[in-house]
Amino acid sequence: MNINFITMDGYGLYVWSSFIFTIVVCLYVFIRTRQTLKKLEKDFKVEVENLSEEKSRDFNKSKIRREILASKSETI
Amino acid sequence: MKFSSPSKLFGLVNIGLKSISKFIIPLLIISLVSALLLSPQDYIQGNSVRIMYIHVPSAWISLACFATIAFLSILNFLFKIKNTFLIYKSLAPIGLLFSIITIVTGSIWGKPTWGTWWVWDSRLTSVLVLALFYVAFIFSYKFISNEEKSIRSCTLISVLGLINLFIIKYSVDWWSTLHQPASIKFTGEATIHPSMLVPLFLMLCTFLLYCGLIFLMKYKTEIIRIKKKGLKRL
Repeated sequence: MNINFITMDGYGLYVWSSFIFTIVVCLYVFIRTRQTLKKLEKDFKVEVENLSEEKSRDFNKSKIRREILASKSETI
Repeated sequence: MKFSSPSKLFGLVNIGLKSISKFIIPLLIISLVSALLLSPQDYIQGNSVRIMYIHVPSAWISLACFATIAFLSILNFLFKIKNTFLIYKSLAPIGLLFSIITIVTGSIWGKPTWGTWWVWDSRLTSVLVLALFYVAFIFSYKFISNEEKSIRSCTLISVLGLINLFIIKYSVDWWSTLHQPASIKFTGEATIHPSMLVPLFLMLCTFLLYCGLIFLMKYKTEIIRIKKKGLKRL
């Protein structure tokens, strides 16, 4: 690998630290957001399963409920 | 509007998430290669100019996010549209993230270019104020439990923040500052060579896809949160 690509003519420290900072921060936000979403989907599923029969019947009529439960396995 | 019903929106959010996740990694690789390898050095700044490929799109996104948030919170204040609340709640952390990236990468770029990490000049200070507006906005909807007060506070911050957006935009023209004037303008030709313009726009597209991804995940989280509250009320 060309050493100049790493050193960037003496600007390597500045260029690489900017890119690495951006990638790390963006990755952290992505992971945290994904974790929160997955946890919420899981909790939602558990709560739906624990509903009493009567409440469950009411809730099963809602279309959004099917969408949420169906999307749980699809979340990236 | 039938189109804005939660179940319809939920379906669209899922489609959006799937589509973005297909394109984001290839586009990120192309953007990084073009920004770090293919684009030329600047004749004065040398390789340090490559920081521009993250600093400038981040700044654009942080400004655009605040403008959108301000518009939506004013809309929510006037017409009480629940969906606008969900949208700006999902958008504000993204704006804060990109304003932090703008400040940090700008500071890193400032060291080799100006010889200092930070100066209290008009452009830099007004961008820092924008980040503080984001923090105040997020605190307003997170910690003010009274809905009416929270909406009023968000709207007030938005209006003040909008004034700050104009200050950011014109600070380089109004005051003497270390920061260079805009190279790309809405009106008139860009004073930047296409060999640098292409990686800049590729990086902007990558960041926009990333914003879309985070926004949709946060929006989906908010919808599920509301539905969970609905479950408890059954």
